Amino acid sequence: MSTYNYVVTAHKPTNVTHSCVGNFTGPQELNLIIAKCTRIEIHLLTPQGLQPMLDVPIYGRIATLELFRPHGETQDLLFIATERYKFCVLQWDADANEVLTRAMGDVSDRIGRPTDNGQIGIIDPDCRLIGLHLYDGLFKVIPFDNKGQLKEAFNIRLEELQVLDIKFLYGCPKPTIVVLYQDNKDARHVKTYEVSLKDKDFVEGPWSQNNLDNGADLLIPVPPPFCGVLIIGEETIVYCSASAFKAIPIRPSITRAYGRVDADGSRYLLGDHSGLLHLLVIAHEKEKVTGLKIELLGETSIASTISYLDNAFVYVGSSYGDSQLIKLNLQPDPKGSYVEVLERYVNLGPIVDFCVVDLERQGQGQVVTCSGAYKDGSLRIVRNGIGINEQASVELQGIKGMWSLRSATDDIYDTFLVVSFISETRILAMNLEDELEETEIEGFCSQVQTLFCHDAIHNQLVQVTSSSVRLVSSSSGELRNEWHAPNDYSINVATANATQVLLATRGGHLVYLEIGDGVLVEKKHAELKYDISCLDINPIGENPNYSNLAAVGMWTDISVKIFSLPDLNLITEEHLGGEIIPRSVLLCAFEGIPYLLCALGDGHLLNFLLNTSTGELTDRKKVSLGTQPITLRTFSSKSTTHVFAASDRPTVIYSSNKKLLYSNVNLKEVSHMCPFNSAAFPDSLAIAKEGELTIGTIDDIQKLHIRSIPLGEHARRICHQEQSRTFAICSLKYNQSSTEDSEMHFIRLLDDQTFDFISTYSLDQFEYGCSILNCSFSDDNNAYYCVGTAYVMPEENEPTKGRILVFMVEDRKLQLVAEKETKGAVYSLNAFNGKLLAAINQKIQLYKWMLRDDGTRELQSECGHHGHILALYVQTRGDFIVVGDLMKSISLLIYKHEEGAIEERARDYNANWMSAVEILDDDIYLGAENNFNLFTVRKNSEGATDEERGRLEVVGEYHLGEFVNRFQHGSLVMRLPDSDVGKIPTIIFGTVNGVIGVIASLPQDQYVFMERLQTNLRKVIKGVGGLSHEQWRSFYSEKKTVDSRNFLDGDLIESFLDLGRSRMEEISKVMSVSVEELMKRVEELTRLH
Amino acid sequence: MDGPATPSKNKNSDGASKFLLDLPSKGLFSSSVISSNLGGMRVYITDHDTTPPENQLIKTDQVNILIRSLLLKQQQKSGTTSKNAKGAGTNEGSRKRAPERAADGRASAKRAASTTQNGSRQDVLKSQIPENLQSLTVERLRALLKERGLSVKGKKDELIARLRVRGTTTTGSASSSAAAKPLI
Repeated sequence: MSTYNYVVTAHKPTNVTHSCVGNFTGPQELNLIIAKCTRIEIHLLTPQGLQPMLDVPIYGRIATLELFRPHGETQDLLFIATERYKFCVLQWDADANEVLTRAMGDVSDRIGRPTDNGQIGIIDPDCRLIGLHLYDGLFKVIPFDNKGQLKEAFNIRLEELQVLDIKFLYGCPKPTIVVLYQDNKDARHVKTYEVSLKDKDFVEGPWSQNNLDNGADLLIPVPPPFCGVLIIGEETIVYCSASAFKAIPIRPSITRAYGRVDADGSRYLLGDHSGLLHLLVIAHEKEKVTGLKIELLGETSIASTISYLDNAFVYVGSSYGDSQLIKLNLQPDPKGSYVEVLERYVNLGPIVDFCVVDLERQGQGQVVTCSGAYKDGSLRIVRNGIGINEQASVELQGIKGMWSLRSATDDIYDTFLVVSFISETRILAMNLEDELEETEIEGFCSQVQTLFCHDAIHNQLVQVTSSSVRLVSSSSGELRNEWHAPNDYSINVATANATQVLLATRGGHLVYLEIGDGVLVEKKHAELKYDISCLDINPIGENPNYSNLAAVGMWTDISVKIFSLPDLNLITEEHLGGEIIPRSVLLCAFEGIPYLLCALGDGHLLNFLLNTSTGELTDRKKVSLGTQPITLRTFSSKSTTHVFAASDRPTVIYSSNKKLLYSNVNLKEVSHMCPFNSAAFPDSLAIAKEGELTIGTIDDIQKLHIRSIPLGEHARRICHQEQSRTFAICSLKYNQSSTEDSEMHFIRLLDDQTFDFISTYSLDQFEYGCSILNCSFSDDNNAYYCVGTAYVMPEENEPTKGRILVFMVEDRKLQLVAEKETKGAVYSLNAFNGKLLAAINQKIQLYKWMLRDDGTRELQSECGHHGHILALYVQTRGDFIVVGDLMKSISLLIYKHEEGAIEERARDYNANWMSAVEILDDDIYLGAENNFNLFTVRKNSEGATDEERGRLEVVGEYHLGEFVNRFQHGSLVMRLPDSDVGKIPTIIFGTVNGVIGVIASLPQDQYVFMERLQTNLRKVIKGVGGLSHEQWRSFYSEKKTVDSRNFLDGDLIESFLDLGRSRMEEISKVMSVSVEELMKRVEELTRLH
Repeated sequence: MDGPATPSKNKNSDGASKFLLDLPSKGLFSSSVISSNLGGMRVYITDHDTTPPENQLIKTDQVNILIRSLLLKQQQKSGTTSKNAKGAGTNEGSRKRAPERAADGRASAKRAASTTQNGSRQDVLKSQIPENLQSLTVERLRALLKERGLSVKGKKDELIARLRVRGTTTTGSASSSAAAKPLI
């Protein structure tokens, strides 16, 4: 049963909706504050750039964000209003580093129609009042008293019903608003009102202006000395004040955002819908406005907010593309642009569609999203893993091995990096300028390949080549001793630690040496039946320099043997089975537990628990990490041991709560790795990959890594086809170059590795791609891409015509094999019992895949089901069909094979406007609706009456605060069969704000436990600004507000791990569960994403 | 990245340059190398109390706009008369509004608070303590106490005692309830 769900954010919102600049964290500190829907980010402006400070979660969707400074304050306060009619005033407490609540409140009214054009929140420049326009016909005033405290709010009747924008005017003796509105004849005007706080009413203002540009929808108040207001239209810009009226025509564009450049308001940056940035200049003679000038500066992302920072640097926040830090140059670049993009801040929003693929077949999903809109459309590949931060790299081909060495036994830092090639060995070292340069160690043999190197006791180094073992002084570099392999018995593999050397020669001879001061002593020799493929004597016992055990991997019989040292007695033998030889063995201890890791040539890894006294191997587990041979190496990070598995899919193996965990490393194909902890690059790794040697540090936690594939057009649907290793997308391209705006729609085929367009099918004029599916049909093994389209005619309310196109990928080209006309838009396509199920306007239609006499194929209609408003989202499972309707919530249909008919089984009678549906299990279905809520419904098959059985019962409700566009089954992390989290089914969702989230269906006992934890956390972790978590997560729509149930907020629960110890203990006491146990259980959940 | 971004087709190609002179600068972003990596973002966890200070939990006046404007007019009228007729006049005025307040208990306290805007009226009101305190309702007593910034807790007798003591000893200016406590 998937009744109990845990919702957690894997990727936070990145859609920037608001930004402002002011002295928030201190009177001398200038901050950039960015709102990302449900979070605010505080940055500090420094001479070196933007310094991130704080990421503050807000229990609400931010509707307005303003900085202001009441009289007598030395720093700015932050005013935030949320879409659910809460507001708060925040103040930074520099001593405690806390955000304090200065005031908060509820500004909802019981009656009133919410505004169509968004909520408006503005603050009088002289800080006399806060004005809010939340409901049509009402203007709410929150007055300040003379100490800067807020007083009781009141409403004023506003005559204008269709308000487009309201701003406060500067320099007015009484607080004055200017209202841009549309009358019932669709003409647009501005009007001013003075707010009389005494009478709690409006007084007619000093001026008004009728019949403006029909596209006017933005007001910019101009500060003193000019005062007045700029009215931004689609074709004109007007400056208006009591005494002046100036207008200029502009190139037709819709201005989305503005940023004031100068404190005196003489220059503004305007960002339009196509991402063009203009500079608007108020020409003036002294304090008299003489005209307006507009200049095109260049192109940015499509801006939703623009903040001028300082010294010609500007922050451009975007909802449709990456946000940017730009610089305005005095001279244009060769393309004529004055804009230089210095930095891009990744934004996944809006995620219109996505698919979960496992391109490396590793059991770990990666998400490919259709992100961005218009010209900023892109695909984003989102993948969980550990990142390597590259510090330096050199081009070096053909690396066969790498080891780091110290110049003295008790040095803390490594000095030398030994790099071995097929016929030579090179030694790199850090020179005085902290650069890596080639050097020599006199006693080392550099004309041959090195098999192994290690630091040894008594300031010595060991080098093993195919013919000998050399012991060299690390200080002088002179050769102190050498052990020669017998003639005809070249050394194949070798390993060593500080006091021991173990090597294997051709013919299965195993030789054990011990290292003394200037001597190498052959202690023992053994002959094995077969050749030896790999060896290890990594010390895991008490003595860090000496191992009592040796692990040996064998050719031919495919086994691992454990020998005791120094007597070289065989104590355990484990046959691995299969035909793949072990390529690397490693003895290692994680959290005090000894393991034997054994990597095979085909990318599999076996791990055993090792009993160090008996050598016994137990608890064998096998995972697949890649497809190529793996080389294992230990390294330590933050004084804990990790293992790096170098292969075509490099992986880090570590342990948490006594469980082995595997994390992908964000690199392709690593052949060798060795830790290289030098003074210049502390805690670094040297990594050999694809003809390159890289030195870098490694992240201590795994996180999402995002790769962007800019398309320059708007991708709306995506799916992947395993057989042809391609993606197909439906996309549209806007053509704004010509005089008339036009759209072109395409089906494009992309290579799943390079993401290049390899084939394109253009749709007809007015034809939109609505859905795409990869499927195959019964009696036909080919994989097809099916595309559903709609002809969107300007004069029609709903499309009445569409097509289903069936493509096959032949020679990496899209070949149309069949097409079927439909009587409406094909909103959804699903593979269903070897047939094709389509949702066409209000109908669900099933198509058979029929072979014609001439050998071609066609779609033939079999049966259908009417009775929806618009069947937008369809999911299937077995014979069941779950439909998400435009406005009639979820309904459940069943396909009856014998009758060849689709019938309705049950439905949810609530009026939810759906945005996505998914099937959690046989009985529970998940829905997302347009008020940002999630809910689950249950099929009631045990109902006593038909009426009961025909009703889907709502079992879970939750306010997500995000508009979900798509659910997909899958996981972002490696799901290993032996881990607990591997058994928890998960769903990934993508939202308009660029959130990627995970919904996990927990077992009941775990849910109950976590629910208790959540209740207790609510008492400890308070909402910023006094906003309540319980209210925020309550299901909220126009019709009802009910407490959330059967959903847990994973973001709140996981913040337990960030609490201070004393707070954790507080919770642990109340719950009577130890802190360690709580941490362990929460950490387990963090591994779901 | 290219595309329509080819601005200034007009003859003087340095069109925007002259407008981009003297962009405001406070010395930030002045380093020749603007670093993109100036440390990480700390996720803020609030474990201190975030409830706003007293009186700063803002609510909206729920009185209908029309009724409010009528009341306001009336108040202003009575306010001007009170100035002329001094004590007696206001006493009358406040008595007139008494039934209204009783009818709408929640709003009464609020309106009392909102009247504090008119400083002059507030002082006049505060100095007034009716003779027959016993005859007033507890609610009314509480409202009177609240106007004076006194504790509204306790039984009716305690409320009256508190009002009497405060009424005779001090007038006006808000003081803490702690000061009143030892007197009870």
